[in-house]
Amino acid sequence: MNSMAPVDQNQKVRIDIQNLSFYYGATKALKNVSLPLYDQKVTAFIGPSGCGKSTLLRVLNRIYELYPKQRAEGKVLFDGENILDGKQDINLLRAKIGMVFQKPTPFPMTIYDNIAYGIKLYERTRKSVLDDRVEEALTRAALWNEVKGKLKESGLSLSGGQQQRLCIARTVATKPEVILLDEPCSALDPISTAKIEELIDELSNEYTIVIVTHNMQQASRVSDYTAFMFLGELIEFGTTERLFTSPQNKRTEEYITGRFG
Amino acid sequence: MNRALYARRRLTNGIFLFLSLSAAAVGMGWLGLILTTLVMKGAVGFSTTVFTEITKSPGSNGGLANAIGGSLIMTSIAVVVGTPIGILAGTYLAEYGRDKAHAFVVRFVNDILLSAPSILIGLFIYEILVRGRPYSGIAGAVALAVIVVPVVVRITENMLLLVPNTLREAAAALGTPRNFIIRTVTWRAARAGIVTGVLLAIARISGETAPLLFTALNNSGWVNGIEALRQPMASLPAVIYFYAGSAYDDWHQLAWEGALLITLAVLTLSVVARFFESRRY
Repeated sequence: MNSMAPVDQNQKVRIDIQNLSFYYGATKALKNVSLPLYDQKVTAFIGPSGCGKSTLLRVLNRIYELYPKQRAEGKVLFDGENILDGKQDINLLRAKIGMVFQKPTPFPMTIYDNIAYGIKLYERTRKSVLDDRVEEALTRAALWNEVKGKLKESGLSLSGGQQQRLCIARTVATKPEVILLDEPCSALDPISTAKIEELIDELSNEYTIVIVTHNMQQASRVSDYTAFMFLGELIEFGTTERLFTSPQNKRTEEYITGRFG
Repeated sequence: MNRALYARRRLTNGIFLFLSLSAAAVGMGWLGLILTTLVMKGAVGFSTTVFTEITKSPGSNGGLANAIGGSLIMTSIAVVVGTPIGILAGTYLAEYGRDKAHAFVVRFVNDILLSAPSILIGLFIYEILVRGRPYSGIAGAVALAVIVVPVVVRITENMLLLVPNTLREAAAALGTPRNFIIRTVTWRAARAGIVTGVLLAIARISGETAPLLFTALNNSGWVNGIEALRQPMASLPAVIYFYAGSAYDDWHQLAWEGALLITLAVLTLSVVARFFESRRY
C-alpha cells in the first residue's frame, strides 16, 4: 500500500505534508504520512478512532508542542517553509493557522471579549474598528443575530452550539489563512451541526480548511478532498467524490460502507 | 433472591448510617458548644469601648483597639507580601513545571511547609529577625507571611490544574504567548478558587498565636506611624493568650470578647469564600 498521495496538478498546494511521522513518547502515532492540502478547499481526515487523524491535524499548527513528550519528524511545508524546523515564530504561525476544537472552548470572559481577544493580540485598533470586526466575525459565524443584544454577557452563558460558533467566530476574527477543525460537531445536536456545516461551506470560499470528523456523511457533505487514515497511516487520498464512490483501497471501501470502524 | 442476605445488607446499611450521623453530631456538637459559649461569655457587656479604647491596666475600663489594629496591620502585610509569592509559585508549578524534577522538589518542600507547626515558623523568624533586637510588628508580619505562602501555593496550583487543557490549547491556537495565556485565560478561569484560597489563608493566620509570641509579642500601648512596625505589636490572639491567663476578671472578659471578634471575622471570611467559590465565572 502506498501512502504517497497523487497530486492534483490543477490545484495550488497550501500545505504540503511530506514523510511525516509522529511520536507520543515511544509510541509512533503517524507513519510516514505525505499529503497535499489544497488552497481554498476543504480537506477531511476520516478514519476509525485512534487512526491518527487528530494527531495529524495537531501537527499543522504545532499545538502538540504544549506537551513535552510529543514530537514530529518529517516536513510540513507552509508557504514553502518547513514549519517543523523550529525557525518560525510559533505564535505567528498559529495566528495564520487557526484551530477549532472538539469541545467548545469559550474563554471565561464576555462574548465581545472572546472575539476581540485574538484581534487585540496582533493589532492595535480603535474601539470603533474593533466593534466592526467583532460584528463581522460573529456575522460570519452566523451568531450575530442571536447575541447582538448580549455582547457583555459571559461566553459561557451560551448553548453548546452557540459556544462552538463563538469559537469559530473567534478564529475567523483574527483573519487566519488556514482553519483547522478538530471534530467540531461531535458535541453538538443535529441542528447546530447543520449550522456549522453551512458555515464551513461558506468559509471555504476564502480559507483553506481541514476538518477531522468521525462522521462520514459529514465528510462527504462538506469536503472537496478526503484522506482516509488507519493505524497511523494514510491509506487513501483523493477528491471526496471519487473516494466515496469508487474507493481504490479495500480498507477504505470497508470503512466507508460501515463494515468496520 | 436470598432474603437473609438482603436483610443483612439492610441492617449493615442502617448501622453505617447511624455511625455516620453520630460522628457528624459529635463534631457539630462541639462546634456548637464552642460558639454558644463564646457568644454567651463574649457578648455579655460587649460595648463599643472594645474598639475605641486600648488595653489598659486591670480595673480601668480598657478595650482592644491596639490589638485589633495590630492584627489588621500584621495580617494585611502578610497577605500583601505572601499572596503574590504564593500565586506566582503556584503558577510555576501548574503551568511551567508540571513534569519537571525540580518542580517536584518545590511541591514537596511546600507541602512540608504547609503542615509545619506554626511555632517552628515563629522560632525561625525569631532567630533571623528578632534575636538581639526588640520584638517587632514587622517580624510578626513576616512570620504570618511565611504561613500564607504555602497555603496560597497549594490552592493556586490545584485550581490551575482544574482548568482544562483544551482552554490553554484554544488560547495557544490563536497565537497567544504563554505568559499572556496564563494572565488572561487560565488565571481568570481559576480566579474564584484562588480568591477563596487567599481568604482561607487570611482566616488561618488571623488566629495564629504561637508565631506572634516569638516575633511581635505584645504591646499594651499604641504606637503611631511607621515606627509601630519596629516595636512590639499587640494582636488579638496574643492579647487573648495573656489576658485569659491573667488573674483579673475584666481582662478575662476582654479575652472572651476578643475571641468572639476573631471567630466572627473568620466566620465572615469563610462565608465570603463560599460565596466566591459558588460564583464561578
